[in-house]
Amino acid sequence: MFVPFDSTMLLAILPEILLVVLAGVVLALDAAWQPEKRRWLGWLTVVGLAVAFILTATVSQPESEPRLLFGGMLRDDWLSFAFRLVFLFGAAITTLFAMDHEALGRKGEFYVLLLVSTLGMNLMASAGDLIMLYLAIETTSIPLYILAGFITTDDKSTEAGFKYLLFGAMTSAVMLYGFSLLYGFSGETNLYLLAGKLGELPMPALLGSLLLVLVGFSFKVSAVPFHFWAPDVYEGAPTPVAGFLSTASKAAGFAVLMRVLLAAFPAALPSWQGLIALLAVVTMTVGNLLALAQTNVKRLLAFSSIAHAGYILIGVVAVNAAGMNLGMASVVFYLIAYLLTNLAAFGAVATFGRVSGSDEMDAYKGLSRRSPALALVMLVAFLSLSGMPPFGGFIAKVFVFAAAVEANWIWLAVIGVLNSIIGLYYYLTLLKYVYLYRQDNLEEEQKPLPISRPYALALVLLVIGIILLGTAFNPWFEWSRTAAASLF
Amino acid sequence: MINFSLQEANPMLAPEYIPLAILFILATALGFLVVIIGNLFGPRRPSIRKAMPYESGMRPIGVGTRRTPVRFYLTAMLFILFDVEVIFFLPWAVVFRELGLSGLIEMGLFLLILLIGFIYAWKKGALEWE
Repeated sequence: MFVPFDSTMLLAILPEILLVVLAGVVLALDAAWQPEKRRWLGWLTVVGLAVAFILTATVSQPESEPRLLFGGMLRDDWLSFAFRLVFLFGAAITTLFAMDHEALGRKGEFYVLLLVSTLGMNLMASAGDLIMLYLAIETTSIPLYILAGFITTDDKSTEAGFKYLLFGAMTSAVMLYGFSLLYGFSGETNLYLLAGKLGELPMPALLGSLLLVLVGFSFKVSAVPFHFWAPDVYEGAPTPVAGFLSTASKAAGFAVLMRVLLAAFPAALPSWQGLIALLAVVTMTVGNLLALAQTNVKRLLAFSSIAHAGYILIGVVAVNAAGMNLGMASVVFYLIAYLLTNLAAFGAVATFGRVSGSDEMDAYKGLSRRSPALALVMLVAFLSLSGMPPFGGFIAKVFVFAAAVEANWIWLAVIGVLNSIIGLYYYLTLLKYVYLYRQDNLEEEQKPLPISRPYALALVLLVIGIILLGTAFNPWFEWSRTAAASLF
Repeated sequence: MINFSLQEANPMLAPEYIPLAILFILATALGFLVVIIGNLFGPRRPSIRKAMPYESGMRPIGVGTRRTPVRFYLTAMLFILFDVEVIFFLPWAVVFRELGLSGLIEMGLFLLILLIGFIYAWKKGALEWE
């Protein structure tokens, strides 16, 4: 059946169209330009993403009622709208971080892969159909495998790319098997039509296919026991890419997780709540305990990002079957706060690593004397990660734990708070290196630590964002609430 | 549309799934059975010649991990690029009239995106053999 052309449908996928156009322009210019002009590709990408962000925010707002577009392939609602903006922002910031990276900055391929991956994430957030969902997940993942292994002369980066590919391919195959079972049981691929058919299914069949699907999603959000790739990949991948992986890619995973659980599996709600609660507890605890032992900052951030996936899962558990409550809204808010905070943390690590060439904690000794501004950014980012007021991470944690209490998951909130305390310890340990310790060789502290313009711009934007989220949080939370409401 | 009408009393015994379950059990059992029987009754007379890596029955020449020129990979990728293009073209040509102008525009956009990739590959020297 051919659906006649409708211009409002095109408006709904405007961000995706702009991303494709931008990727095409960057790829063509990369081939056409002389090598010395290619450093402008980064600025071109940033400006393009900024334009796409503004156009999306103003022109392609969804209609008040959610719509299924293109034969049910995409769902146009406030959740996909909010996540699209988040991904475009995350990609722009990542571009700023990569621009002065000597191995990434002048390669047009880097920006194209980043843009294509962002396109996939946009589609993940709005997919309304199993087939679209799988295609979107692969469109996101395949460029990310290449990006993680982008520095082919560096063994660690190659290892990271390959490990990510193997893990990704395996979990994606398991997830695809789950999709095939869902289709086999119901005869439907549309998420919103699935729910009605799945309700009549025997519980073991329903839970079995749900488990298989969850494997793929858990890999994307790096939840235990599918987290093994995260530390090695984050350590080996170029730092801007690791930042992108741990924020935008994770947010996309959660967008999909929320939509699929609520749209296709309302029949099994109590069962998957228990399952996700278990996953949350294990993820938080394992992530935090392993982070304690790390001496490499990127590995530390990897385990911290696993722990944060656990906190966010608490918000997913705390959903109310009857309808809208704090749960999903707190997840969206947490993801926004976490994106800003973790991008700032990885940005600071990238800035520092570019000059010093090391990501070990020992190298961070005396940073506050070497570069007070960068030390301040690290302070803001790590205090926000640990959940300290007045930063975004604090409010995000409050909402998530409040959602758990509201939905009568009090023990889960208690475990979450206990885990936050463990987290506080290792975040403060790193800050101790930055602020209290001195280098053994004091001359080392005299070396200048230049922060180039793109880094400065990105870090300032992120710090302002973190503080805004932590102080004037009400409008942001209202947006999260609107976005989450369209899930139901 | 496939209709799975499930029994109300004990849905796990839905008749549609019984052949599937039997197949699953048989396949698993057969896999184990073949390996176990082979291990129990098969004669084992190891020799150096048998332990050698198999290379079409010949004595292996050189190392197993030889390098293959990356050019083959590029050529294969370009082949797939144009192959997929043709695959999309055929069904499009069949319903060309029904699709009308919008179909033409869509195919034009598809070609444009492909063309950018082609120009990129060309400029980067993917088409040069040496």
